[in-house]
Amino acid sequence: MTETVKAFDAAAARSTQVNRRIACVAGLLVLAALVPFAASDYQLRFAAEILIVGTAVLSLDLLVGFGGLVSLGHATLFGGAAYAAAVAARAWGADLTLMVGIGIVTGMAMAFVTGIVVMRTIALFFLILTLIVGQIFWEIVFHWRSVTGGADGLRGLPALELHLGFTTLDLSSSRALYITAAVLAFAAWAVARSFVNAPAGRALIGTRERQLRMSALGYDIARIRMMALLASGAIAGAAGALYPFVNQYIGPNSMHWTFSAMMVVMLVIGGVGSLYGAFIGAAICLGIQTYISSYTDRWQLVVGLIFVLTVLIMPRGIVHGVGSLMRGKGKP
Amino acid sequence: MTIRTGLTRRGLLAAGGATAVAGMLGAPMIARAAGQPLKIGMVTSLSGPFAGLGEAMRAGIAMALAEYGNELAGRPVELIVEDDQAKPDEGVRKFRKLIGQDNVDIVSGVISSAVALAVRDVVTEAKALTFISAGSANDLARGAASPLVFRPTKTNWMLGHTAGLWAAEKISKTGCITIGADYAAGREYIGDFVQTYTGQGGQVNQQLWAPLGTTDFGPLLTTLASARPEFIYSFFAGSDAVRFLKQMKDYRLHDKIRVLGGGALFDQEDVVATVKDAALGGQNTCNQSPTAPASLDFSKAYKAARGTLPGEMGTAGYVTAQVIKAAVERVGGDVAAKDKLKEALLAQPVDTVFGPMTFDPRNNQAILDIYVNEIVEGEGGPVNQVIHTYKAVQDPGPSA
Repeated sequence: MTETVKAFDAAAARSTQVNRRIACVAGLLVLAALVPFAASDYQLRFAAEILIVGTAVLSLDLLVGFGGLVSLGHATLFGGAAYAAAVAARAWGADLTLMVGIGIVTGMAMAFVTGIVVMRTIALFFLILTLIVGQIFWEIVFHWRSVTGGADGLRGLPALELHLGFTTLDLSSSRALYITAAVLAFAAWAVARSFVNAPAGRALIGTRERQLRMSALGYDIARIRMMALLASGAIAGAAGALYPFVNQYIGPNSMHWTFSAMMVVMLVIGGVGSLYGAFIGAAICLGIQTYISSYTDRWQLVVGLIFVLTVLIMPRGIVHGVGSLMRGKGKP
Repeated sequence: MTIRTGLTRRGLLAAGGATAVAGMLGAPMIARAAGQPLKIGMVTSLSGPFAGLGEAMRAGIAMALAEYGNELAGRPVELIVEDDQAKPDEGVRKFRKLIGQDNVDIVSGVISSAVALAVRDVVTEAKALTFISAGSANDLARGAASPLVFRPTKTNWMLGHTAGLWAAEKISKTGCITIGADYAAGREYIGDFVQTYTGQGGQVNQQLWAPLGTTDFGPLLTTLASARPEFIYSFFAGSDAVRFLKQMKDYRLHDKIRVLGGGALFDQEDVVATVKDAALGGQNTCNQSPTAPASLDFSKAYKAARGTLPGEMGTAGYVTAQVIKAAVERVGGDVAAKDKLKEALLAQPVDTVFGPMTFDPRNNQAILDIYVNEIVEGEGGPVNQVIHTYKAVQDPGPSA
C-alpha cells in the first residue's frame, strides 16, 4: 500500500515538473512571439543578434557542458561559417536555405579539421589546441585580403531572402530577421537537446564522467568526441551563416580567440549544461557591452564582476541560480 | 517550518537584479521625455589602439559646442558619445543604437577607415544625416559614396597623393622604401603615394607591412638599417606611430633616414607631444596643422584648455561641429529636411580651422588645402610647422 502511494506521489511530482517545464517553454515562446510587436527596429536587430550569438554559445555548451571539453576556438567555427556565407552571398545572392546550408557545411568541415587535431586530448591540451587551430584559421582570414577583405572585413551584402519556389520572401527587415533568428535558435535548441538525449549524447556524458570505464565498455572515445564536435560545428555554422546579415557586415573579430573566450564567459554566466542558459548569458553580455558602454569605457569591468559574482554565488549559472531562487531553499 | 517576512538574501538578490534591469530599460525613455533638443551622436574610439585620438575628438567637438553655448540655430544641443573600440562590428552596433534607440538627428565621428566603411550601409539604409569626422577610406568618396554621408575630412588619397608629389619634387626620386600599417588606411596611403610617386618618375625599392597594433618593429627596422634607403614613406596611427618613431630612435635610425609620413604619423597631440625629439625632422602631409593660418586661434584656445597643441583628431572634432553648425543654421534648425540641408551645405564653402572647405557635389567629399608639415623645435617643444600648402586638393571621386 505504502509502496503504491509512494510510486503515485513520485509520478505526480514528475508530472508537475514536466507541466512546469512545458509552461516555462510555452511562456518563453509567447514572450519571443510578442517581442516583434513591442520592440523598436534597433531592439529587434539586437534581439536577433542575441539569438544568433546565443545559438553559437548553445553549440559550445554541447562540448563544455556535456563533454567537459572547454574550447577556445569556437568563434572560429561561427565566424568561419559567417565568412563563407558572406562570400557566397556576394557571389550568388543571399538565399536563406543556401546560406544556412553553406554555414552548416563550413562549420562541420572546420570542426572536422579541428577535431582531427584535438579529439584525443582533454582539459588543458584541448583548450590550447583549439586556441591554436582557431588562430590559424583567423590568420588565414586576416591575410586573405582578396577573398575576405582582410582587416576591413566584408560589406555590401545583398538582402537576405527565402526562395520558396512559388514566391520569394524578403528577410532583410529587422522583424523578419528576428523571426528567422528565433526559428533558428529554437531549431538549434531542439537539435542539441535530442543530441544530448540520444545514445551519442549519453555516451558523451559518459566520456566526461568515466573515461576509462567508457573505453573498457568498448566505446571509441575519440569518435564520440568527434561526433560532438561535428554536431556543435553544424549548429555554430548555421548560426554563423545568419550573422553577417544582422549588421550587413562581417569582420575578422568574429573569428578571433577573444570572441571564443567571450562565448565561454557567456556560457558560464548563463549556465553550463542547461542549453537555453546560453541565450541568457549572451543577452547579459551583449546587453552590458552595448548599454553599459554608453556610460563608461570600463564596461569590461562590469562583465568581469558579473562573471566573478556568478561563479561565487551561482556556480551553476544564472539559469540554475534563478531556478533555485524561485523554488526556495529546501529543494535542490 | 518558519514563516519569513523580512528580506532574505535571495530576495535581495532578485530584487537588486530586477531593479538593475528595469533601470537599464527605463533610462532611454526618461531621456526621450526631456524635450526636443537637437541630438548629435558621435561614435569614436575611446578604448583600443585609437583611444587617445578618440578622447581628442570628443574634446574637440565638446569645445566647439560649448563655444556655441550648446545651441545651434536656436535649438539646444545634446551630444551623445559612444565608443567603437576601433572595431567595425562594434561601430556598426553603436551607430544602430544611436539611430534606432537614441533617435539622434545627426550621427558623426569615426576614426578608423574600417569602421567608416562598415557603417556605410547602416547609415545609408537608415537615411541618417552622417558626418564622418576622420575615417578617411577612399572608397567612401568613390564607389561607396552615399547621398547623406558628408565627409568634412580628407581622403587617404589626398594625403598619399600630395606626399608623392612632394617626395618626387623635393626629396628624392630614388632610394625609397614604404612601410605601413596593414589595414585599410595603411594600404591606401601607401598605395596612393606609390602611384603618384612612380607616376612622377620616382622609384620604390621595397614595401614593408606591419599589422595594426604591432608592438615590436625590430625586424622591420633591421631591414631598414641594412637597406639604408634615402627616405621612407610611412603610415602608422595612434600608439603604433608612437612605438614606431620611438623604436626608430632606439635603433638610431631617426637621424640617418628621412621620414615622410601620412599626417597621423606625426600627429601633433597624439604622437609628437609624446615622442618629442624622435619626431624632429620628420615631414608629413596633412589636412591639419596647428600652425596653419586658419588654425592659429583655435590652436591657442585648445592649448589653453588641454595643455597641448591640437592634433588632427581634436581639430576634426571641432571642425565637425563647425560644419554641422553651418549646415543646421543654413536650414534654420530644421534638420528633418535632409535634402534641403544637403543643398544648402553644398552651395557655399564653410570656413573651418582645417582651412576653407568646399564640398564636392558628386560625393559630399570635402575639398581641402593639404599642408606639408615639418617637425621643428618650437617654443613648447617640437611642432608641426607648415612649409608648403597644396591648395584645394580634390579626390578623383567616383570616376577613379
